Amino acid sequence: MRVHRTLIASIVLGLLLAVPAGALAKRLIIGGSTSVLPLAQKLATAYHQAYPKIPAPKVGGGQSDVGISGASKGQFDIGDSSRDPIRGVDPKGLVFTKIARDGVCVITNPSNPVSNLSQETVEGIFTGRIRDWSGVPGARISGPIDLFDRDGASGTQDAFQHIFLGETLKISPTASAETSNGLEQNAVSSDKQAIGFVSFAYTAGVNAVAYQGIPCNLRNAKSGQYSGVRNFWMVTKGIPKGETLKFLKWVTSGNTTTKRIISSSWIAIH
Amino acid sequence: MASETLPRPQAGPPSLPRRASIASWPLVDRAAYVLCWVTGIGLCLIAAAIVLYMFLKGVSYLKLSEFVQSPSPSLHQTQSGGFSDPIIGTLLVTAIGTLLAAPTGVALAAWLSEYGRPAWLARAVESALEMMAGVPSVVLAIFGLLVFSASFLGFLSEKAFNGTVTGQSFIAAGAVMSFLALPLVVASTREALAQLPDRLREASYALGKTRARTIRRVLLPAIRPSIASGVVLGMGRIIGDTAIITLILGATLKNEPANNTPILGALRGTGSTLTSYVYNNSPAGEGNSHEKAYAAAFVLLMIVLALNALVTVLTGGGRPRERRRAGPLAIARWLSWTR
Amino acid sequence: MTRIRPASATRSDERVERTLGALAVAVLVVIGLLVVTVLVKAWPSFSYNGLSWFGSGGDVDTQLRVMREGTPLAGHGPLYFRAWPLVWGTALTTVLAVALALVVSTLAAIFLTEFAPARVRALLEPVIRLLAGVPSVVYGLIGILAIAPWINEHLLDNARKQSVAYVVQLNGENLTTATLILTVMITPIMVAISANALAAVPPSWREGSAALGVNRWRTIWRISLRTARPAIAAATVLATARALGEAVMLAMVSGGRAFAANPLDGLTFLFEPVRPMAAQIFQESEGLTIGPLGHTIYAIGAVLLVSATMLSLAGWAAKQPLKRYGMRA
Repeated sequence: MRVHRTLIASIVLGLLLAVPAGALAKRLIIGGSTSVLPLAQKLATAYHQAYPKIPAPKVGGGQSDVGISGASKGQFDIGDSSRDPIRGVDPKGLVFTKIARDGVCVITNPSNPVSNLSQETVEGIFTGRIRDWSGVPGARISGPIDLFDRDGASGTQDAFQHIFLGETLKISPTASAETSNGLEQNAVSSDKQAIGFVSFAYTAGVNAVAYQGIPCNLRNAKSGQYSGVRNFWMVTKGIPKGETLKFLKWVTSGNTTTKRIISSSWIAIH
Repeated sequence: MASETLPRPQAGPPSLPRRASIASWPLVDRAAYVLCWVTGIGLCLIAAAIVLYMFLKGVSYLKLSEFVQSPSPSLHQTQSGGFSDPIIGTLLVTAIGTLLAAPTGVALAAWLSEYGRPAWLARAVESALEMMAGVPSVVLAIFGLLVFSASFLGFLSEKAFNGTVTGQSFIAAGAVMSFLALPLVVASTREALAQLPDRLREASYALGKTRARTIRRVLLPAIRPSIASGVVLGMGRIIGDTAIITLILGATLKNEPANNTPILGALRGTGSTLTSYVYNNSPAGEGNSHEKAYAAAFVLLMIVLALNALVTVLTGGGRPRERRRAGPLAIARWLSWTR
Repeated sequence: MTRIRPASATRSDERVERTLGALAVAVLVVIGLLVVTVLVKAWPSFSYNGLSWFGSGGDVDTQLRVMREGTPLAGHGPLYFRAWPLVWGTALTTVLAVALALVVSTLAAIFLTEFAPARVRALLEPVIRLLAGVPSVVYGLIGILAIAPWINEHLLDNARKQSVAYVVQLNGENLTTATLILTVMITPIMVAISANALAAVPPSWREGSAALGVNRWRTIWRISLRTARPAIAAATVLATARALGEAVMLAMVSGGRAFAANPLDGLTFLFEPVRPMAAQIFQESEGLTIGPLGHTIYAIGAVLLVSATMLSLAGWAAKQPLKRYGMRA
């Protein structure tokens, strides 16, 4: 019994010691857009390497709308968003900090290498007006078009609608919604009749379609020729302070590390 | 009288009537017979196909360097590192879950079997455990997230700078996982205790030992293999679970300790396990590198195989004569380990 | 509970009993807390929608999206939700998978215990145990990378896709893929239990039947299966619980829309996307802190919890006849 009492006492003591040590453990919690996610992960790792004493920020997903509302509610310190702020929809009191730009490509299956689509055709396909590949100039196959969309919370979907379809048109509700760029890429690459849209970095294994004659690649996006480009934002509740400010300052400072990371698959703006 | 001749002893053993062949069965029965064969062989083939497919894909994509490299964020499969962190994560979560579940489970089983008063409490606990065994792990996960996000439990995980408790850490995940393993440990131990002959207990009490002493010194050591197999089954269930990990462990790429305190820091930090690593790298997650997913899935399968072999060894299986035939639902519990 | 007790209870015994009893109460309290918390958090969603929570009306994806964005649909409050596509999807996948698994596992168990040569049996048993232990994420991986594309290539043709194109899009992630993989997941458990139960049938019963001239198949069908029926029922309950709770594999494989598959579509019905409830919870996990969305997710979780409890009860009821034969459960 004496042994047991000592054991219990030491466990309790250990826990008690852990509590104050624990009170100091804080970390930057970042979450939101799945398009910004790979960039945010790389930036977080590099930030921790640059400042080893600061614990690496924790980066999660959930898509842009979750990032914005999470930042507003305090669930995240920083929310990631791949769509521009929408007045009247987004919660009030948020500050959006632009960190990079990213391109959105229309993609088709490799066995249907459509080389170019005009704005009118893109509108027609994605709103559901054109339902068959025979109605698409440049298509190598025939049959019904399998439309792949993103989930409602996706910033990429908002960006796509805004850039390619204009303010008023919406993507057809019969499209299959995928919850990440990766799933969208997988869906299009495994279905011959498929068409969808992804962020630049996810165009491996699928055919990236030129838009209005300009091929969709990083070079054209950087030069400004390709028009399907959208902003990446980091969202905070109110003006960033303390550790959040430090991190955002580092990201937007345009130092060699951040420039190298961002330019690898995205467009650096600082 | 004497003129009746005795039957002549037969030259050899009497010839048995020829066994009725299947051809003599009615058509329906013959069709059923063929169907049974087809199903049996079909099941064999499907199982073989799955194992072979995972084997081939896994071996082709598995590189030994992946065991020691840490994952790093990258969209290209060649640069995204290995899975040393997820393996450590799996070990950590399994260890925490088992350490919490095993003593609790054995103690509960001993109480249910040897004490069990008041009776309504025992029945309530039994039903609760039975229900727990059937609860989907996602429901456990959302409950766990709620509990560990409470601010008074903030020391078990990390805080955001604005003060919100994330509720995501190894300790949190391990604690929720222990509820997955608990019913299995309790069931195994109870079953084994029930099979112990009463004379063991009678002898011990006759010698003047208290019930507690009897349990600790006589009964539990006698059923050590069953306890071990129950614990290993629980471990198997913990290793195979993805939902709780994805929701409660935060599924960050690397294991990130909360601060620099040696062990407690890692336990309060977030990380990933093999299962969440496979999920993240599959097209359903955000990593999108199916080669790494296959490799990690292959490693998972090998672990499952090893655990299976361990259970067989622990229960002394393989020799049909010595193996006591367990009840059907004991087998059910054995095999329902991954849910 | 054993009836053997020591002659006198000592103080240390009482202390140990009290400690262990406290532990049991603690575990009971935590489990009770689980049930109560989930139900309490789910209540707002149920009280707003009433019984039509289970009904149909509108698109589940849209309803969840407006909860996330905080812009309720016209004429409805923020908690508006009609879960019929989810409920129907869960019912479809579970019932179909369990029905299929029941047939396959019974036949396979009969094969294993009666007809299989010894070598095949020795091979099949560890293989089945391995299959039962494969984590669901691995099944999901195989499904999403191998089976779904195969089904899309070989079983879906343009004509079929066109026939429902104005309502929903068909691809490899559909009811068939989900049901097939789910069946493969729950069959090994059922085979093992059924085989065990069949082998435990008293040999004298079968010998008696053979002595009466009944052929082997009829003996199995009329005697062995009947005796093993309670165990097979219990196995079915266990398999149903697993199918109901399967979240990860179904989230990876079952389709991008919460759609109520329509049996009136004929064969196309088998290829329509579904989204079972557990998969929905898993996919929405990031949005739990958003007020209305959180209540809705907990409501779905509450439905699953209640179903699991009812299945536990059914399992207990199925075990009762086993006692009649003196078989240990």
